[in-house]
Amino acid sequence: MRPMATAAGGLRVLSGLPRTHWAVLALVSLLCGIGIATLYSVEGGSFQPWAERHGLRFLVGLACILVMLTVPAAVWFRLAVPAYLTALFLLVLVPVLGSQVLGARRWLDFGFVSFQPGELMKVALVLMLAAYYHWLPRERVSDALWVALPVLLIAIPAVFTLRQPDLGSALLYAITGFGIMFLAGVSALYFAGAAVALAAALPLIWSSLHDYQRRRIEVFLDPGSDPLGAGYHIQQSKIALGSGGVSGTGYMKGSQSQLDFLPEKHTDFIFTMFAEEWGFAGAVGLLALQAALIFVLWRIMMTAGSLFAQVLAAGAALTIFLYAVVNAAMVTGLVPVVGVPMPFVSYGGTSMLSLMAALGLALSAAADRGFGASGRPWNGRRSGV
Amino acid sequence: METRDGDDLDGRRLTRRALIAGGLQAMAFGVIGVRLFQLQVVEGQRLRVLADGNRVNVRPLLPRRGRILDRSGRVLASNVERFRVWIRPGDRSRMRSSLQRLAPLIGLSDSDINGLVEKARAQPRNRALLVRSGVDFQTIAQIGLRAPELPGVETDVAFDRAYAYGVATGHVVGHIGGVDRPAMDDEAFLRLPDARVGKTGVELGLERDLRGEAGQTRIEVDARGDLVRVIAESEPVSGRDVILTIDAGLQQRVLDRLSSEVRAAAVVLDVETGEVAVMASVPSYDPNALTLHFDEADFARMERDPHKPLVNRAIAGLYPPGSTFKMVTALAALEAGVITTNERVACSGAFAFAGETFKCWNRGGHGSVDLADAIRKSCDVYFYELAERLGVDRIAAMAKTLGLGQTYACGLGGQKDGLIPTTGWKLAVKGERWLRGETILAGIGQGFVLTTPLQLAVMTARLATGRAVVPTLVRMDGGPRGPGSLFPPLPIAAAGLDAVRRAMIGAVHAPDGTGGNAALDVGDVLIAGKTGTSQVWSSARQPAPRDDRYELRDHALFVSFFPAASPRYAVSLVVEHGGSGGQTAAPLVRDIARLVLAEAALAAVPVVESGR
Repeated sequence: MRPMATAAGGLRVLSGLPRTHWAVLALVSLLCGIGIATLYSVEGGSFQPWAERHGLRFLVGLACILVMLTVPAAVWFRLAVPAYLTALFLLVLVPVLGSQVLGARRWLDFGFVSFQPGELMKVALVLMLAAYYHWLPRERVSDALWVALPVLLIAIPAVFTLRQPDLGSALLYAITGFGIMFLAGVSALYFAGAAVALAAALPLIWSSLHDYQRRRIEVFLDPGSDPLGAGYHIQQSKIALGSGGVSGTGYMKGSQSQLDFLPEKHTDFIFTMFAEEWGFAGAVGLLALQAALIFVLWRIMMTAGSLFAQVLAAGAALTIFLYAVVNAAMVTGLVPVVGVPMPFVSYGGTSMLSLMAALGLALSAAADRGFGASGRPWNGRRSGV
Repeated sequence: METRDGDDLDGRRLTRRALIAGGLQAMAFGVIGVRLFQLQVVEGQRLRVLADGNRVNVRPLLPRRGRILDRSGRVLASNVERFRVWIRPGDRSRMRSSLQRLAPLIGLSDSDINGLVEKARAQPRNRALLVRSGVDFQTIAQIGLRAPELPGVETDVAFDRAYAYGVATGHVVGHIGGVDRPAMDDEAFLRLPDARVGKTGVELGLERDLRGEAGQTRIEVDARGDLVRVIAESEPVSGRDVILTIDAGLQQRVLDRLSSEVRAAAVVLDVETGEVAVMASVPSYDPNALTLHFDEADFARMERDPHKPLVNRAIAGLYPPGSTFKMVTALAALEAGVITTNERVACSGAFAFAGETFKCWNRGGHGSVDLADAIRKSCDVYFYELAERLGVDRIAAMAKTLGLGQTYACGLGGQKDGLIPTTGWKLAVKGERWLRGETILAGIGQGFVLTTPLQLAVMTARLATGRAVVPTLVRMDGGPRGPGSLFPPLPIAAAGLDAVRRAMIGAVHAPDGTGGNAALDVGDVLIAGKTGTSQVWSSARQPAPRDDRYELRDHALFVSFFPAASPRYAVSLVVEHGGSGGQTAAPLVRDIARLVLAEAALAAVPVVESGR
């Protein structure tokens, strides 16, 4: 593609962008802004070392989205299989080449760039499933063979991630993947069967978990059992939330967080930090922003012109939803600590960029009204026009 | 609307499933919201107490600053304890009742109490408020005894700096003050409001020795911030006492003598040890006014004073050395071989160079002069000629050798470098080529050349001894260095140094010397010296303005060493806008020399043991 044509195309695409797209970009910017402000407070009023880099990553991500908007959906469609295979290959490579951080091998270091292939897989899996359901004739969606294939596509990376070990990502693949299958119209009977099988397999899963994962679940069930050990995080997080009260302790004045009682406050526990300084009102406000973002993506899914775009939008929405809810549930002690970031707010390059990429794919595919008009979009009322 | 069966089915199914999934998501958000409500609103109060209750406080303990003593052990700077009473508010009623019980002990009025309660409202309830500072020790003891009925009341002790000799040692000792902008890598205690660091003088220069190390106490506090128990405590390490080389008595007498002038500075060096015996700067200031008895208006007045009393002119006053620089030019020329001690130069009262005329101070001219004549009579033309033969870079090299244009690690903060110009300096700083006419001015210590009185004293000490004397204000191991540890000799031929020294004796003691006013009238002690009258406004090329304003008058300088036969002391003196070096500066140096010798004679008297 010639650069001039790309630039001109980019302008044309931007000028014709639907309002929902602008809403997504605005909400993401707002959330990243909250992230920068909170990271500034984490360091007691310094842009170093977190806030500045967070802002930089946001700008890079935003630029990526804008560039992605100029790419026709057909290109993404053709990229699905190679992207999935590449991500899978890197994921397999991690146990061999990965560097160990805090007891888990999740990172690949290529010298010039290091990242977690697990995050790449989150985008690639959604893209793969989108292409798959776009390609699959409607009437075969619930055929056993065509149900088994996506289950395999989901299960293979999930098993590899579980062995890293990264329980959080594995669960995320599973829930996002099965969520997409559910939305794609796979017969409800399969889901009912899976639920029964899961219940039966629970003891088996428990025995296959790592010690620290089991310990986390135990501590979660009774945090008081180990107040200074594994329960410490949850306990301190709850205290910080309580200390925030209704209206918060005030920006940069969170006593629990500023006095270092709170662990990992720039990544996994940033929501606690925010909720202490801005109180219940602020915490609800932040979650409302996340919910609004998910709602807008849901709207995009309902109105998109192609099945491909619809699955991508659903995938992005589900990923953000799972991140936000699991993170909030984790720091409020509702679920065990699994290490999931608060989308766009937590410090972390790979998760930020993979979320941006997921959004970029969904927005790009949904903006391409020409793609898949001859295909089989889910929403018949639109395709008939 | 046109519909196809399959699509319609899919569409309806999607809408249904999207609603189900969306509903589940909304429920999940709802659960989180309820959980937050429970933690932050319902249980907020309980968790807040928990948050306060498990708090461990680390409180730094300030170290005691080292004292500063003079050479005979007189205390110049010391710490004065100041007891303080604080209150940790807790809740308002408790605070009020504590203060009311405290009132008769330290004399609090009702309006004092109301004011404190008002203040407490505007700050976190576990931060202590200062109730009274400077409470006497008996009262502190009483408060300690009645502690159980005074919940929230705390006492501590702060240290103030007291300077016993005040004005006399003001500039040398300097003063301390609050930390301006604590850097992140500084020790943590510097961020405390009570932390003090050296701002000027020895307090600044020897900060590392004087400061000491902070201790800390880790305490557990309850929700009100009241002490529950001490978990661990490490004692602070006091700063080191520092013994200076100056003599407070002599310093005082020299300063008294100098106070006849508006702005002046003098330095007396022991030429063998480099010890600074006197460092005086007029006008002086009382550092107590900046610490013990700090007064905002006083400080502002001192800062605004056009005579700048806060500046130590001995190390931070920059003056063209004028004719006191002529020894530098002379030695540079002798070393370079561009002149001999016997060669004569004709002075007609002016020196023509490249179409310009450089005048001698003596418009009538000095006739034919050799090196000794030129230094004795301070003939400018002779040195114009030498400078022209030398070039500025060789003059600068000799100036550096003699200790000008640099600061010394002598224990004093706030020294200025001065300026010894070179061709390279002008190119680098001004971006211009050096002009040869500027060399001629540099040859008599004018033009770009700037020095401090301390540097001139070092120069004189080096001339007197031929050794690379380095000044110090800190007395090593309580005594002068032994004969084995003399300063290394300078790379200057002894014959040249001798000639210059003899000429400097002539300048004071010969009938036609410019420094005759410095001659001592006691005993047979000979003084060697050199006058300097440096122009502030005009260069030698421009006529001085007819204006007689104070700021435009010449600086009067004099450098000297004595006894000339076996030098012990070097003195430099600058009287800002004092007029002529011979008229104003020389008599002052004579009086200083008299004071120094009297003090030395006193010290030389063997101490008779009083034990019988």
